[in-house]
Amino acid sequence: MRIAHYLNQFFGGIGAEEHAGKGLTIRDGAVGPGKLFESLLGADDQVVFTFICGDNYAVENQAELTAAVLEKLRAKKVDLFVAGPCFEAGRYGMAAGALCRAVQSELGIPAVAAMSEGNPGVDLHRDALYIIDSGSSTVKMREVLAKMAKLGRKLIVGDAIGVPAEEGYFRRGWLRDQLVEKTAATRLVDMLLAKMRGEPFESEMPPTAFVPVPIPAAVKDMSKAKVMLITDGGLVPKGNPDRIEGTAATRWGSYNIKGRDDLRAEDYEVSHGGYDTRFVEEDPDRLVPLDALREMEKNGVIGKLHDEFLSTCGRSNPLSNTRRLGREMLKKVKQEGVDAVILTST
Amino acid sequence: MVGSNRVVLGTGIVHVTGDAKLPPAEEKDLRRKLVQQALDALQSNEKR
Repeated sequence: MRIAHYLNQFFGGIGAEEHAGKGLTIRDGAVGPGKLFESLLGADDQVVFTFICGDNYAVENQAELTAAVLEKLRAKKVDLFVAGPCFEAGRYGMAAGALCRAVQSELGIPAVAAMSEGNPGVDLHRDALYIIDSGSSTVKMREVLAKMAKLGRKLIVGDAIGVPAEEGYFRRGWLRDQLVEKTAATRLVDMLLAKMRGEPFESEMPPTAFVPVPIPAAVKDMSKAKVMLITDGGLVPKGNPDRIEGTAATRWGSYNIKGRDDLRAEDYEVSHGGYDTRFVEEDPDRLVPLDALREMEKNGVIGKLHDEFLSTCGRSNPLSNTRRLGREMLKKVKQEGVDAVILTST
Repeated sequence: MVGSNRVVLGTGIVHVTGDAKLPPAEEKDLRRKLVQQALDALQSNEKR
């Protein structure tokens, strides 16, 4: 089988942080960890080329990098795309994840990456990709590459992929059917007994893990700040022009409030199936506090209230979806020079 | 509150920045207070 490999400038042998701005280089054959990877595969398997890119360039020029990698892989077919291991390197992980995702969805080529659990690439891409848990130490390089090779081979030939604990990848949030010997009640009592004895046991419902999000610095001068209102309570103009779903919403909207001092009941409705929406429909300021903020704008407490508010429905929504909605909103927030956001949530 | 120090407790799920039980003028005062709390939180780096 033919494999393409993605490495950052460090593992690709170009250099350390001072080379992080370097653009994409494509080498024939395996480079660095790729050579070890190749040795763990069969005799007929080879890394046919290696993409190497500086970490800063990769995250700052994601679209260009992805386009260049896809172009190469359209011209020269491969059976598998691998990226990393990236360990704790965040920019490397984000770029590797984005490339694997693109190669997989655009070209239908299976992809495997490897990162440590805290790498932001995991949280961004685990829903779409097999990402092997590399741990944080490069000492485990060989072991990690072996897991990537084993999983990659299965993906190519179409063998059944084991559960995360067997294969070593991060949970993707999938549920699948499995035959077990004991009933749920027996398994539960076994777990409880193990817990009481202080013995190890494994929950069948691991809690969702959130990577801590650093808190942004405070707004220095609110009287000069542009403030935006966002809500996940589903407030939309009458007729719901963006057809925002009242449950598991896939869309959000931005709605003009320029020159308005108050949100009037006759102009709005609520698309949200998770709470009694009558009070907000009676007076939308109960969800999107335009009247109070407009006063503060006039009194100079805030610099400016942004001319649009953003809205979606936050009910029963999978994380993969809400993360996308959040990223899309963030893009607008940044583009329009907003300094602070008040997000009201039901 | 998911570890954030910039969460202001609203009046309830059904009217986060209001209170249908209050007369309109008092309800608006309450809303001013809640929005001011949000602005104060945005201007603070303190853990609360």
